Amino acid sequence: MDNKNVLEIEGVDKHFPGVQALDDVSIDLRHGEIHAVCGENGAGKSTLMKIICGVYQPDRGTMMLNGEPLVVSNPNDAYSRGIAIIYQESSLFPDLTVLENIFMGHEIRKSVLPFLKVLKIIDYPAMRKQAGAVFERLGMDIDLDAVVSTLGVATKQMVEIAKALTFESQILILDEPTAALTSNEVDTLFETIRKLRDEGRSMLYISHRLDEVFLIADRVTVYRDGQYISTADVKDVTKDRLVSWMVGRTLTNLYPKENVDIGEVVFEVRDISQEDLLKNVSFSLRKGEILGISGLAGAGRTELAQAICGLTKPDKGEIFLNGKRTRISDYRRTLEQGIAYITEDRQTYGLILPMTLKVNITHSVLRQITNSLGIVDRGKETEITDRFVKQLDVRAPNGEFIVNNLSGGNQQKVSVAKSLAVEPQILILDEPTRGVDVGAKSEIHRIISDLAKAGKSIILISSDLPEILGMCDRVLVMKNGRIAGELSRQELSQERILGMAL
Amino acid sequence: MSNTGTKRSLSLSTVFTHQTILLLVLVALVLVFGIIEPVFFKLGVLFDVFSIIGEIGIMAMAMTYVISTAGVDLGVGYILQMSAIVFGVTWEASGNLALAIAAALLMGLAGGLFNGLIISRTRIPPLVTTLATMYLYRGISMIIAGTKTFAGFPDAFHKISTTEIFGFLPIQAVYLIVLFLVMDYFYERGSLGRNLKGMGFNENAVIFSGVNTRRIKLGIYTLLGFLCGVAALIYLGRLSAAKTSMGDYMNFEVITAVLLGGTSIMGGVGSMRGTLIGVLIIGVLKKGFTLLNFSGNIYNFTLGIILILSLIIFALEEERKKAVESEVAAT
Amino acid sequence: MKRRRSITREATLALILLIILVFLSLTTSFFSQSGLYSFMLDVSPTIVAAIALGMVIFTGNIDISAGTISGFVAYTAGALVKAGVPMIVFVPAAITVGTLLAGLNGFITVKFKVPSIVVTLAMNMVHIGFYATFLPQSGWIENLGPRFTWFGRGRIFDLIPYTFVVAIVVAVIAMLVMRYSRFGKELYAVGGNRQSAIYSGINPDATVMKVFLVEGFLIGISALLRAMTRNEVMPSVFVGRELFFISAALVGGISIFGGSGKIIGAVMGAALVYLLSIAMIYYGFQDYYQFALQGIIILIAVFITVADFSKIRKRFGRRTRLEVAENE
Repeated sequence: MDNKNVLEIEGVDKHFPGVQALDDVSIDLRHGEIHAVCGENGAGKSTLMKIICGVYQPDRGTMMLNGEPLVVSNPNDAYSRGIAIIYQESSLFPDLTVLENIFMGHEIRKSVLPFLKVLKIIDYPAMRKQAGAVFERLGMDIDLDAVVSTLGVATKQMVEIAKALTFESQILILDEPTAALTSNEVDTLFETIRKLRDEGRSMLYISHRLDEVFLIADRVTVYRDGQYISTADVKDVTKDRLVSWMVGRTLTNLYPKENVDIGEVVFEVRDISQEDLLKNVSFSLRKGEILGISGLAGAGRTELAQAICGLTKPDKGEIFLNGKRTRISDYRRTLEQGIAYITEDRQTYGLILPMTLKVNITHSVLRQITNSLGIVDRGKETEITDRFVKQLDVRAPNGEFIVNNLSGGNQQKVSVAKSLAVEPQILILDEPTRGVDVGAKSEIHRIISDLAKAGKSIILISSDLPEILGMCDRVLVMKNGRIAGELSRQELSQERILGMAL
Repeated sequence: MSNTGTKRSLSLSTVFTHQTILLLVLVALVLVFGIIEPVFFKLGVLFDVFSIIGEIGIMAMAMTYVISTAGVDLGVGYILQMSAIVFGVTWEASGNLALAIAAALLMGLAGGLFNGLIISRTRIPPLVTTLATMYLYRGISMIIAGTKTFAGFPDAFHKISTTEIFGFLPIQAVYLIVLFLVMDYFYERGSLGRNLKGMGFNENAVIFSGVNTRRIKLGIYTLLGFLCGVAALIYLGRLSAAKTSMGDYMNFEVITAVLLGGTSIMGGVGSMRGTLIGVLIIGVLKKGFTLLNFSGNIYNFTLGIILILSLIIFALEEERKKAVESEVAAT
Repeated sequence: MKRRRSITREATLALILLIILVFLSLTTSFFSQSGLYSFMLDVSPTIVAAIALGMVIFTGNIDISAGTISGFVAYTAGALVKAGVPMIVFVPAAITVGTLLAGLNGFITVKFKVPSIVVTLAMNMVHIGFYATFLPQSGWIENLGPRFTWFGRGRIFDLIPYTFVVAIVVAVIAMLVMRYSRFGKELYAVGGNRQSAIYSGINPDATVMKVFLVEGFLIGISALLRAMTRNEVMPSVFVGRELFFISAALVGGISIFGGSGKIIGAVMGAALVYLLSIAMIYYGFQDYYQFALQGIIILIAVFITVADFSKIRKRFGRRTRLEVAENE
């Protein structure tokens, strides 16, 4: 790895109506380096990347590629300059084949007739050859004619990477690439990344997962609120330091778990089965307990949660609430029973973003705030809203504020508030801090801890091992639809969990 | 349809300005028509507007509920047509007015129910469903009627549409205002309105609140169908003949009224008041054109232009107001 | 994992078509010279129009004014012929009218971000009103003479209509375009995942605009293929025709959501839809039964598409199987 800068960015500003997304930011990327980019949501990381890739244009600032001025006016430009990006959200076309996806927008073409330069048609053989070579380099065996919607998550990720590699890109930008991967798949990904680095590529690696940063990156740059904070060699910096740069203050206790007296069994599940997704799953949950459910993606954790919540129908199994057998037919009944499910994807499932805080928070308890005709009592609505805003410390000017205008972390709090409004005794949290910045993350953990202290029982589904280790009294590890093992707090360790999960 | 990135904002100001502008437009139209043809200003003539928009008004109110959920029913005119034909057939066959009325209402209900079942139970989008049932119902009404026209309904029946309160206010005004008051109340102040708008913005989130969206969907389409049946009766009361071309333009008029009123075709944003004003605007236009002896075709043509123009204007308004928060949120 | 789903879909269609044809050959005089001739003559315009609408639907849009646009095209041709204009002029002129009208739809959809369903619904009304208001006799022109009809009524080998040849040529070109041109891929991309299309460097607005122009062009051809078989033009005849075009495309496996489907599907769908309507007439159902039938056909076709999706997801996806609505 030589010290020449392959990419240099200085003094970039970017303004959107109402928001200064980037304010005098810079970054430099050395040849053959893996450079991590960290920052809370809203820090400006994605905006900067999109500018580098030509999706946005900077208001001000200079960019240099290998010492030459760089102007990227559109995504195709970026590709032709050798800059490729793998986005966070899937950028694949589900109904098209792998081959079509890889070359979308820049298909290899050839002239129909040698002298008729004008008429170009897509050159499938050439594309197949190139794609085949790329996959071979990645060590993958993929059917180029497979329709993408039939592929698994990790394979799709590989297709995305292959997509970025079909052009001799020298710079590769990865935006939260491990978000949906199991730790096995992450290892494969890291291997690939190192391979690519050895081939001479330089990479910008955006991630919330600080542990990964220490595993894979050479240097790390931190942004906060649209501004450049600092850059450091990964070996010279600690996680706490990084966190304090990202947040602007030191966070002492990331996982404020307190010791809580754990009571008797409040919830029990026996022999839940669902096609080949869940096989005879049984467990029990106690009062005041935080029960973690760990395992690889696809092990059945979310499926389990949704089956016991009435969102999907299990083929067989029984549920006991406080010792009594209960039937759960749909989610409405679940809420009535005092069980709430909070999902990771708050935007799709949890919140109605264009509506107000009040409407969102009280939406699960409409019955409580309406009269027999269904008319809403504004007083009750305000009362409930205020109560939870206070409890969860949601930062918003008032209840009429539109949720969409809140920060990601606050939105997640509103989502939690909405579920708390039904005053559940049991909460099932599915990846509650995924995609949430470090600051809000620890607040949510505090909330979870407080809830347990108040006597509620919590099931915490998470892929974030440190979170599981830090927060749970007991952990169930799932594998292939079964419970592969159980660990008490004392027995917890990353190795043990992974050992059972794999 | 494909996913566009546009976010609809629920700022109160959006809907407010719409309605104010609409009211101004309404007043302006009345003035313009009155100036050209002064007889328009006569109270009796002016209020006549209510009598011609009774049917459309009723259907438009119910349609507002539906469109708020990001749904639509393209075939309301044909549900009305079916109900009307069934009324005619039943009346002719039995001579029993009550029976005929019941049959018509039942037919409307059935039409709406069928739509509602498909939309709530299968993944077929409302657009395609009602596009298909639109033709289906049109076909059914033609099959039942053959080429006949039904007429000769009793005077008592016609009273439901021709009565005038205080000598000048058509009874349709009463129907409309009562229906408006009830539906608007539940829309603005009730959980129903919240759920409808919520479903238009993000149906999954509403499901996750434990709300039975399936039942709501089934309900609103069925209600719409039923009210189409009611509208059919009012229409027949006024026009005294049932034939198979009645519904052709109504679909369009109803949708125009709702969209003109500020309800967004993408759901989430809606206003019953806007719909009411929209309906009145259409009525004034219709009445004015009739007085000026313009043909029905000119009316349809103008309505089409108005719809397009209003959509363009509203779209530009949205563009302006839309903050680019969606992009900022992704930083 | 091969493209099992789409192969099965088109193969199923072909099979159904085959069965119907066999049935028809056994029970009717369909396979006589005159039977085949009229089949080919009548199905050609629908084939071309189904392809046109199919391409629009690929992008996740729709054009409900395709029928009324056809009326304008026919009128333009008729009027020009009446004025003595040679074919070499009136054909391109008429087709241009179609292209421009569809282009207008596309323009409003793209520039003002109004959903195409609403735009084309409104334009449909505008067109109908326009006929009756501004065209003399609502656009009815008769006695156009052989200068107009020679092409529409002509045939090669005394069997295959020129119009059918045109339709086949159009279909082949369309299939080649979809497979070998970047434009074809762009259509799927924009309909399949608009945001990803943007990231791939595609300009969705430009693509949609182009596809509407192409649609207009093809609708122009389709309208002429139909109009030029008769001695008169009457725009109102075309009102409501889009129903057949859309059902043909949907039956042909083109997903109403956009992003998938094949041209050959549209072609087979057109044939199928046409045969069904013929069968109705043959068995004595008046043409208003057509409406009801088409409605049911659309429902079934879309239901199958929708059922396909959820089956795929169940078998291969690890995502949840919530019964939640797709956000469009």
